[in-house]
Amino acid sequence: MKTDRSITIIFLFLLVMIPLNFYLIFMVAPTEKVMGEVQRIFYLHISLAVGAFLALTGVFVSSILFLWKKKFIWDTAAYTCAEIGVLMSTLVLTTGSIWARPIWNAWWTWDPRLLTVLILWFIYIGYFLLRGGIADKFKKAQYSAVLGIIGYIDIPVVRYATKWWKSIHPLLTQEGGGLDPVMKNIMFFSMATFILLTIFLFLFRFRLARIEERLEIVKKRMED
Amino acid sequence: MRFMGNAAAILRKDILLELRGRESLSLMLFLSLLLLVIFNIALDLDKDSVSSLASGILWVVFAFSGILGMGRTSMAERDEEAYLSIVFSPASPESFYIGKALSNFLFLLIMECFTMLSFVILFDFEKIIGLLPQLLVPLVLGTIGFSLVGTLFSFLTTASKYGEVLLPFLYLPVVVPVILGGVTSMGMVLNGNAGGTWKWIQMLAVFDVLYLAVSLLLFRYLMED
Repeated sequence: MKTDRSITIIFLFLLVMIPLNFYLIFMVAPTEKVMGEVQRIFYLHISLAVGAFLALTGVFVSSILFLWKKKFIWDTAAYTCAEIGVLMSTLVLTTGSIWARPIWNAWWTWDPRLLTVLILWFIYIGYFLLRGGIADKFKKAQYSAVLGIIGYIDIPVVRYATKWWKSIHPLLTQEGGGLDPVMKNIMFFSMATFILLTIFLFLFRFRLARIEERLEIVKKRMED
Repeated sequence: MRFMGNAAAILRKDILLELRGRESLSLMLFLSLLLLVIFNIALDLDKDSVSSLASGILWVVFAFSGILGMGRTSMAERDEEAYLSIVFSPASPESFYIGKALSNFLFLLIMECFTMLSFVILFDFEKIIGLLPQLLVPLVLGTIGFSLVGTLFSFLTTASKYGEVLLPFLYLPVVVPVILGGVTSMGMVLNGNAGGTWKWIQMLAVFDVLYLAVSLLLFRYLMED
Protein backbone atom coordinates (compact mmCIF):
# COMPACT_ATOMS: atom_id res chain seq x y z
CA MET A 1 0.00 0.00 0.00
CA LYS A 2 1.19 3.48 -0.90
CA THR A 3 0.25 5.10 2.43
CA ASP A 4 2.15 2.40 4.29
CA ARG A 5 5.36 3.33 2.56
CA SER A 6 4.91 7.07 3.12
CA ILE A 7 4.18 6.40 6.81
CA THR A 8 7.45 4.48 7.08
CA ILE A 9 9.42 7.21 5.33
CA ILE A 10 8.00 9.97 7.54
CA PHE A 11 8.62 7.81 10.59
CA LEU A 12 12.27 7.42 9.67
CA PHE A 13 12.59 11.18 9.22
CA LEU A 14 10.99 11.81 12.60
CA LEU A 15 13.29 9.27 14.22
CA VAL A 16 16.13 11.65 13.41
CA MET A 17 14.31 14.98 13.64
CA ILE A 18 12.68 14.64 17.08
CA PRO A 19 15.86 13.85 19.04
CA LEU A 20 17.71 16.47 16.99
CA ASN A 21 14.99 19.01 17.75
CA PHE A 22 15.32 18.40 21.49
CA TYR A 23 19.09 18.59 21.24
CA LEU A 24 18.84 21.94 19.47
CA ILE A 25 16.31 23.29 21.97
CA PHE A 26 18.21 22.28 25.09
CA MET A 27 21.84 22.34 24.01
CA VAL A 28 22.26 24.74 21.10
CA ALA A 29 19.64 27.45 21.57
CA PRO A 30 20.96 30.37 23.63
CA THR A 31 19.31 31.06 26.97
CA GLU A 32 16.93 33.98 26.80
CA LYS A 33 18.08 37.03 28.76
CA VAL A 34 14.95 37.92 30.69
CA MET A 35 12.99 34.70 30.99
CA GLY A 36 15.87 32.29 31.33
CA GLU A 37 15.70 28.54 30.75
CA VAL A 38 11.93 28.30 30.86
CA GLN A 39 11.72 30.23 27.60
CA ARG A 40 12.89 27.05 25.80
CA ILE A 41 9.35 25.70 26.13
CA PHE A 42 8.36 28.25 23.46
CA TYR A 43 9.91 26.04 20.80
CA LEU A 44 7.46 23.29 21.71
CA HIS A 45 4.53 25.52 22.63
CA ILE A 46 4.44 27.39 19.33
CA SER A 47 5.16 24.29 17.24
CA LEU A 48 2.31 22.46 18.97
CA ALA A 49 0.03 25.39 18.26
CA VAL A 50 0.95 25.20 14.59
CA GLY A 51 0.23 21.45 14.62
CA ALA A 52 -3.13 22.01 16.33
CA PHE A 53 -4.07 24.67 13.82
CA LEU A 54 -3.15 22.37 10.96
CA ALA A 55 -5.20 19.50 12.38
CA LEU A 56 -8.28 21.63 13.07
CA THR A 57 -8.10 23.09 9.58
CA GLY A 58 -8.10 19.46 8.47
CA VAL A 59 -11.38 18.90 10.36
CA PHE A 60 -12.91 21.92 8.64
CA VAL A 61 -11.84 20.93 5.13
CA SER A 62 -12.75 17.25 5.56
CA SER A 63 -16.16 18.21 7.00
CA ILE A 64 -16.93 20.35 3.96
CA LEU A 65 -15.78 17.55 1.66
CA PHE A 66 -18.00 15.06 3.47
CA LEU A 67 -21.11 17.21 3.14
CA TRP A 68 -20.30 17.73 -0.49
CA LYS A 69 -19.21 14.25 -1.62
CA LYS A 70 -20.93 12.07 1.02
CA LYS A 71 -17.95 9.72 1.09
CA PHE A 72 -17.23 8.18 4.49
CA ILE A 73 -13.51 8.48 3.92
CA TRP A 74 -13.89 12.24 4.58
CA ASP A 75 -15.67 11.58 7.84
CA THR A 76 -12.81 9.33 8.91
CA ALA A 77 -10.34 12.05 7.95
CA ALA A 78 -12.36 14.66 9.89
CA TYR A 79 -12.48 12.80 13.20
CA THR A 80 -8.88 11.67 12.84
CA CYS A 81 -7.87 15.32 12.49
CA ALA A 82 -10.12 16.28 15.41
CA GLU A 83 -8.41 13.73 17.67
CA ILE A 84 -4.99 15.13 16.80
CA GLY A 85 -6.29 18.68 17.18
CA VAL A 86 -7.63 17.99 20.68
CA LEU A 87 -4.38 16.28 21.67
CA MET A 88 -2.22 19.13 20.38
CA SER A 89 -4.37 21.93 21.83
CA THR A 90 -4.35 20.17 25.20
CA LEU A 91 -0.56 20.18 25.01
CA VAL A 92 -0.55 23.84 23.93
CA LEU A 93 -2.54 24.73 27.05
CA THR A 94 -0.32 22.57 29.26
CA THR A 95 3.00 23.89 27.98
CA GLY A 96 1.69 27.45 28.14
CA SER A 97 0.66 26.95 31.72
CA ILE A 98 4.06 25.58 32.69
CA TRP A 99 5.71 28.62 31.11
CA ALA A 100 3.28 31.07 32.69
CA ARG A 101 3.85 29.94 36.28
CA PRO A 102 7.35 31.46 36.65
CA ILE A 103 6.90 34.30 34.14
CA TRP A 104 3.39 35.62 34.87
CA ASN A 105 3.38 34.18 38.37
CA ALA A 106 0.15 32.33 37.65
CA TRP A 107 -0.82 29.04 36.04
CA TRP A 108 -3.64 30.68 34.19
CA THR A 109 -4.77 34.18 33.29
CA TRP A 110 -7.87 35.27 31.41
CA ASP A 111 -5.92 36.53 28.46
CA PRO A 112 -7.84 36.59 25.15
CA ARG A 113 -5.54 34.12 23.42
CA LEU A 114 -5.67 31.69 26.30
CA LEU A 115 -9.41 31.98 26.42
CA THR A 116 -9.68 31.45 22.67
CA VAL A 117 -7.67 28.22 22.80
CA LEU A 118 -9.67 27.01 25.79
CA ILE A 119 -12.99 27.70 24.03
CA LEU A 120 -11.69 25.95 20.93
CA TRP A 121 -10.74 23.00 23.11
CA PHE A 122 -14.28 22.86 24.54
CA ILE A 123 -15.79 22.95 21.06
CA TYR A 124 -13.78 19.96 19.87
CA ILE A 125 -14.45 18.00 23.06
CA GLY A 126 -18.10 18.69 22.26
CA TYR A 127 -17.48 17.29 18.78
CA PHE A 128 -16.59 13.93 20.31
CA LEU A 129 -19.47 14.09 22.80
CA LEU A 130 -21.81 14.54 19.85
CA ARG A 131 -20.26 11.66 17.91
CA GLY A 132 -20.41 9.38 20.94
CA GLY A 133 -24.18 9.64 21.19
CA ILE A 134 -25.20 8.96 17.58
CA ALA A 135 -25.58 5.34 16.52
CA ASP A 136 -26.44 5.82 12.86
CA LYS A 137 -23.28 6.00 10.77
CA PHE A 138 -24.51 8.48 8.19
CA LYS A 139 -26.10 10.79 10.74
CA LYS A 140 -22.98 10.69 12.87
CA ALA A 141 -20.86 11.78 9.92
CA GLN A 142 -23.36 14.37 8.71
CA TYR A 143 -24.04 16.00 12.08
CA SER A 144 -20.45 16.09 13.23
CA ALA A 145 -19.46 17.62 9.88
CA VAL A 146 -21.89 20.47 10.56
CA LEU A 147 -20.33 20.97 13.98
CA GLY A 148 -16.81 20.69 12.54
CA ILE A 149 -17.56 23.59 10.19
CA ILE A 150 -19.28 25.83 12.74
CA GLY A 151 -16.64 25.20 15.38
CA TYR A 152 -13.89 26.31 13.03
CA ILE A 153 -15.73 29.43 11.91
CA ASP A 154 -16.30 30.33 15.55
CA ILE A 155 -12.59 30.49 16.39
CA PRO A 156 -11.84 33.86 14.72
CA VAL A 157 -15.07 35.29 16.16
CA VAL A 158 -14.08 34.28 19.68
CA ARG A 159 -10.60 35.65 19.04
CA TYR A 160 -12.00 38.94 17.79
CA ALA A 161 -14.44 39.25 20.69
CA THR A 162 -11.90 38.51 23.41
CA LYS A 163 -9.23 40.73 21.86
CA TRP A 164 -10.77 43.88 23.28
CA TRP A 165 -9.60 42.98 26.69
CA LYS A 166 -6.01 43.83 27.40
CA SER A 167 -3.79 41.14 26.00
CA ILE A 168 -0.66 40.15 27.88
CA HIS A 169 0.31 37.30 25.59
CA PRO A 170 3.78 37.92 24.10
CA LEU A 171 3.73 38.73 20.42
CA LEU A 172 6.73 36.96 18.97
CA THR A 173 6.11 37.80 15.34
CA GLN A 174 6.12 41.53 15.95
CA GLU A 175 9.63 41.54 17.31
CA GLY A 176 10.92 39.28 14.55
CA GLY A 177 13.80 41.65 13.85
CA GLY A 178 15.05 41.42 17.43
CA LEU A 179 14.97 37.62 17.58
CA ASP A 180 18.36 35.93 17.69
CA PRO A 181 18.98 34.21 14.29
CA VAL A 182 19.96 30.94 16.03
CA MET A 183 16.75 31.02 18.03
CA LYS A 184 14.77 31.77 14.91
CA ASN A 185 16.26 28.89 12.96
CA ILE A 186 15.69 26.46 15.80
CA MET A 187 12.10 27.68 16.02
CA PHE A 188 11.60 26.98 12.34
CA PHE A 189 13.18 23.54 12.67
CA SER A 190 10.94 22.76 15.62
CA MET A 191 7.88 23.89 13.67
CA ALA A 192 8.87 21.74 10.71
CA THR A 193 9.32 18.75 13.03
CA PHE A 194 5.88 19.20 14.55
CA ILE A 195 4.19 19.74 11.20
CA LEU A 196 5.72 16.49 10.03
CA LEU A 197 4.68 14.82 13.29
CA THR A 198 1.11 16.02 12.78
CA ILE A 199 1.07 14.60 9.27
CA PHE A 200 2.54 11.35 10.53
CA LEU A 201 -0.03 11.04 13.33
CA PHE A 202 -2.77 11.75 10.83
CA LEU A 203 -1.65 9.13 8.31
CA PHE A 204 -1.04 6.56 11.03
CA ARG A 205 -4.36 7.11 12.77
CA PHE A 206 -6.20 7.32 9.47
CA ARG A 207 -4.81 3.98 8.39
CA LEU A 208 -5.81 2.46 11.72
CA ALA A 209 -9.34 3.86 11.39
CA ARG A 210 -9.67 2.34 7.90
CA ILE A 211 -8.54 -1.04 9.23
CA GLU A 212 -11.06 -0.77 12.08
CA GLU A 213 -13.83 -0.01 9.62
CA ARG A 214 -12.90 -2.97 7.46
CA LEU A 215 -12.85 -5.20 10.52
CA GLU A 216 -16.37 -4.04 11.39
CA ILE A 217 -17.58 -5.01 7.93
CA VAL A 218 -15.94 -8.43 8.14
CA LYS A 219 -17.44 -8.99 11.61
CA LYS A 220 -20.90 -8.08 10.37
CA ARG A 221 -20.57 -10.48 7.46
CA MET A 222 -19.54 -13.31 9.76
CA GLU A 223 -22.53 -12.67 11.98
CA ASP A 224 -24.96 -12.76 9.06
CA MET B 1 -42.64 35.48 -0.10
CA ARG B 2 -43.49 31.76 -0.02
CA PHE B 3 -40.40 31.32 2.14
CA MET B 4 -41.49 33.77 4.82
CA GLY B 5 -45.01 32.40 4.64
CA ASN B 6 -43.75 28.92 5.49
CA ALA B 7 -41.58 30.30 8.29
CA ALA B 8 -44.58 32.20 9.66
CA ALA B 9 -46.64 29.01 9.60
CA ILE B 10 -44.02 27.26 11.75
CA LEU B 11 -43.95 30.23 14.11
CA ARG B 12 -47.74 30.19 14.33
CA LYS B 13 -47.71 26.46 15.06
CA ASP B 14 -45.20 26.91 17.91
CA ILE B 15 -47.15 29.76 19.46
CA LEU B 16 -50.33 27.72 19.23
CA LEU B 17 -48.64 24.73 20.86
CA GLU B 18 -47.36 26.97 23.61
CA LEU B 19 -50.79 28.47 24.20
CA ARG B 20 -52.30 25.00 24.41
CA GLY B 21 -49.91 24.24 27.20
CA ARG B 22 -46.81 22.46 26.06
CA GLU B 23 -45.21 24.46 28.82
CA SER B 24 -41.73 25.08 27.47
CA LEU B 25 -42.07 28.82 28.08
CA SER B 26 -43.42 28.42 31.59
CA LEU B 27 -40.51 26.12 32.43
CA MET B 28 -38.08 28.75 31.17
CA LEU B 29 -39.71 31.48 33.24
CA PHE B 30 -39.73 29.29 36.30
CA LEU B 31 -36.05 28.39 35.90
CA SER B 32 -34.99 32.01 35.46
CA LEU B 33 -36.81 33.01 38.63
CA LEU B 34 -35.19 30.14 40.48
CA LEU B 35 -31.74 31.06 39.15
CA LEU B 36 -32.14 34.65 40.35
CA VAL B 37 -32.89 33.35 43.85
CA ILE B 38 -29.87 31.05 43.72
CA PHE B 39 -27.67 33.94 42.58
CA ASN B 40 -28.83 36.05 45.48
CA ILE B 41 -28.06 33.29 47.95
CA ALA B 42 -24.69 32.51 46.37
CA LEU B 43 -23.46 36.08 45.97
CA ASP B 44 -25.24 37.78 48.86
CA LEU B 45 -26.03 40.81 46.73
CA ASP B 46 -26.42 44.26 48.24
CA LYS B 47 -27.18 47.64 46.69
CA ASP B 48 -23.56 48.34 45.68
CA SER B 49 -22.55 44.99 44.27
CA VAL B 50 -25.76 44.45 42.34
CA SER B 51 -25.01 47.29 39.94
CA SER B 52 -21.71 45.84 38.78
CA LEU B 53 -22.94 42.24 38.68
CA ALA B 54 -26.44 42.76 37.23
CA SER B 55 -25.49 42.38 33.57
CA GLY B 56 -23.46 39.21 34.18
CA ILE B 57 -26.18 37.59 36.28
CA LEU B 58 -28.86 38.42 33.72
CA TRP B 59 -26.91 36.89 30.83
CA VAL B 60 -26.10 33.70 32.70
CA VAL B 61 -29.80 33.33 33.44
CA PHE B 62 -30.68 34.09 29.79
CA ALA B 63 -28.20 31.49 28.57
CA PHE B 64 -29.32 28.68 30.87
CA SER B 65 -33.06 29.27 30.66
CA GLY B 66 -32.65 29.63 26.91
CA ILE B 67 -30.91 26.26 26.62
CA LEU B 68 -33.76 24.63 28.49
CA GLY B 69 -36.41 26.16 26.26
CA MET B 70 -34.68 25.62 22.92
CA GLY B 71 -33.82 22.03 23.74
CA ARG B 72 -37.46 21.33 24.41
CA THR B 73 -38.89 22.93 21.30
CA SER B 74 -36.54 20.88 19.10
CA MET B 75 -37.18 17.65 20.93
CA ALA B 76 -40.87 18.25 20.26
CA GLU B 77 -40.10 18.04 16.53
CA ARG B 78 -38.23 14.77 16.94
CA ASP B 79 -40.90 13.20 19.13
CA GLU B 80 -42.94 10.85 17.01
CA GLU B 81 -40.86 12.13 14.10
CA ALA B 82 -43.02 15.19 13.56
CA TYR B 83 -40.22 16.84 11.56
CA LEU B 84 -40.60 14.17 8.85
CA SER B 85 -43.81 15.79 7.73
CA ILE B 86 -41.79 18.94 7.14
CA VAL B 87 -39.08 17.03 5.29
CA PHE B 88 -41.68 15.58 2.96
CA SER B 89 -43.58 18.83 2.53
CA PRO B 90 -42.66 21.22 -0.29
CA ALA B 91 -41.47 23.77 2.30
CA SER B 92 -37.69 24.23 2.26
CA PRO B 93 -35.60 23.21 5.29
CA GLU B 94 -34.39 26.81 5.47
CA SER B 95 -37.88 28.20 5.93
CA PHE B 96 -38.43 25.60 8.66
CA TYR B 97 -35.20 26.74 10.32
CA ILE B 98 -36.19 30.40 10.16
CA GLY B 99 -39.60 29.60 11.58
CA LYS B 100 -38.09 27.69 14.49
CA ALA B 101 -35.49 30.42 15.06
CA LEU B 102 -38.26 33.03 15.12
CA SER B 103 -40.28 31.10 17.67
CA ASN B 104 -37.19 30.53 19.79
CA PHE B 105 -36.38 34.23 19.52
CA LEU B 106 -39.86 35.17 20.65
CA PHE B 107 -39.85 32.82 23.64
CA LEU B 108 -36.35 33.89 24.64
CA LEU B 109 -37.31 37.55 24.49
CA ILE B 110 -40.38 36.97 26.65
CA MET B 111 -38.25 35.06 29.14
CA GLU B 112 -35.63 37.83 29.16
CA CYS B 113 -38.17 40.59 29.77
CA PHE B 114 -39.67 38.52 32.54
CA THR B 115 -36.22 37.93 34.06
CA MET B 116 -35.37 41.62 33.96
CA LEU B 117 -38.67 42.53 35.56
CA SER B 118 -38.11 39.93 38.29
CA PHE B 119 -34.63 41.31 38.75
CA VAL B 120 -36.00 44.81 39.27
CA ILE B 121 -38.44 43.53 41.88
CA LEU B 122 -36.21 41.06 43.70
CA PHE B 123 -33.13 43.25 43.86
CA ASP B 124 -34.82 46.62 44.07
CA PHE B 125 -32.95 47.71 40.97
CA GLU B 126 -35.18 50.18 39.19
CA LYS B 127 -32.35 51.58 37.12
CA ILE B 128 -33.09 48.94 34.47
CA ILE B 129 -36.49 50.43 33.66
CA GLY B 130 -35.14 53.90 32.94
CA LEU B 131 -32.32 52.55 30.79
CA LEU B 132 -34.50 50.09 28.90
CA PRO B 133 -34.27 51.84 25.50
CA GLN B 134 -30.47 51.63 25.59
CA LEU B 135 -30.49 48.07 26.89
CA LEU B 136 -32.82 46.94 24.17
CA VAL B 137 -30.32 46.98 21.27
CA PRO B 138 -27.72 44.63 22.80
CA LEU B 139 -30.51 42.53 24.26
CA VAL B 140 -32.23 41.99 20.92
CA LEU B 141 -28.99 41.43 18.98
CA GLY B 142 -27.75 38.97 21.60
CA THR B 143 -31.06 37.14 21.59
CA ILE B 144 -30.96 36.83 17.81
CA GLY B 145 -27.51 35.25 18.14
CA PHE B 146 -28.72 32.91 20.88
CA SER B 147 -31.72 31.74 18.89
CA LEU B 148 -29.81 31.29 15.60
CA VAL B 149 -27.11 29.11 17.17
CA GLY B 150 -29.52 27.49 19.61
CA THR B 151 -31.98 26.42 16.93
CA LEU B 152 -29.25 24.84 14.82
CA PHE B 153 -27.55 23.13 17.76
CA SER B 154 -30.71 21.87 19.38
CA PHE B 155 -31.38 20.02 16.12
CA LEU B 156 -27.84 18.66 16.16
CA THR B 157 -28.40 17.17 19.60
CA THR B 158 -31.72 15.55 18.72
CA ALA B 159 -29.84 12.85 16.81
CA SER B 160 -27.86 11.92 19.89
CA LYS B 161 -29.07 9.43 22.45
CA TYR B 162 -28.10 12.00 25.11
CA GLY B 163 -30.56 14.47 23.61
CA GLU B 164 -30.97 17.87 25.23
CA VAL B 165 -28.39 17.07 27.90
CA LEU B 166 -25.73 17.54 25.23
CA LEU B 167 -26.94 21.00 24.22
CA PRO B 168 -25.06 23.14 26.78
CA PHE B 169 -21.76 21.43 25.92
CA LEU B 170 -22.04 22.35 22.25
CA TYR B 171 -23.93 25.59 22.57
CA LEU B 172 -22.15 27.49 25.34
CA PRO B 173 -18.62 27.54 23.83
CA VAL B 174 -19.94 28.76 20.49
CA VAL B 175 -22.03 31.60 21.94
CA VAL B 176 -19.17 32.94 24.08
CA PRO B 177 -18.91 36.02 21.81
CA VAL B 178 -22.62 36.75 22.32
CA ILE B 179 -22.39 36.42 26.08
CA LEU B 180 -19.25 38.57 26.11
CA GLY B 181 -20.85 41.25 23.94
CA GLY B 182 -24.14 41.18 25.81
CA VAL B 183 -22.64 41.26 29.29
CA THR B 184 -20.15 44.00 28.44
CA SER B 185 -22.48 46.32 26.58
CA MET B 186 -25.36 45.99 29.03
CA GLY B 187 -22.92 46.41 31.90
CA MET B 188 -21.65 49.61 30.32
CA VAL B 189 -25.17 50.99 29.96
CA LEU B 190 -26.07 50.11 33.55
CA ASN B 191 -22.92 51.74 34.88
CA GLY B 192 -23.35 54.97 32.95
CA ASN B 193 -20.92 54.38 30.09
CA ALA B 194 -23.32 53.96 27.20
CA GLY B 195 -20.85 55.52 24.75
CA GLY B 196 -18.52 52.51 24.83
CA THR B 197 -21.11 50.01 23.69
CA TRP B 198 -20.94 50.75 19.98
CA LYS B 199 -18.15 48.32 19.06
CA TRP B 200 -19.81 45.54 21.05
CA ILE B 201 -23.07 46.18 19.28
CA GLN B 202 -21.23 45.95 15.97
CA MET B 203 -19.65 42.70 17.10
CA LEU B 204 -23.05 41.25 18.02
CA ALA B 205 -24.45 42.30 14.65
CA VAL B 206 -21.55 40.69 12.80
CA PHE B 207 -22.04 37.49 14.81
CA ASP B 208 -25.75 37.43 13.95
CA VAL B 209 -25.20 37.94 10.23
CA LEU B 210 -22.42 35.33 10.13
CA TYR B 211 -24.47 32.70 11.95
CA LEU B 212 -27.55 33.42 9.90
CA ALA B 213 -25.54 32.75 6.75
CA VAL B 214 -23.79 29.64 8.11
CA SER B 215 -27.01 28.18 9.53
CA LEU B 216 -28.91 28.72 6.30
CA LEU B 217 -26.12 26.93 4.45
CA LEU B 218 -25.86 24.01 6.86
CA PHE B 219 -29.35 23.40 8.23
CA ARG B 220 -30.52 21.32 5.27
CA TYR B 221 -27.90 18.70 6.10
CA LEU B 222 -29.61 18.04 9.43
CA MET B 223 -32.85 17.28 7.61
CA GLU B 224 -31.36 14.61 5.33
CA ASP B 225 -31.98 11.10 6.49
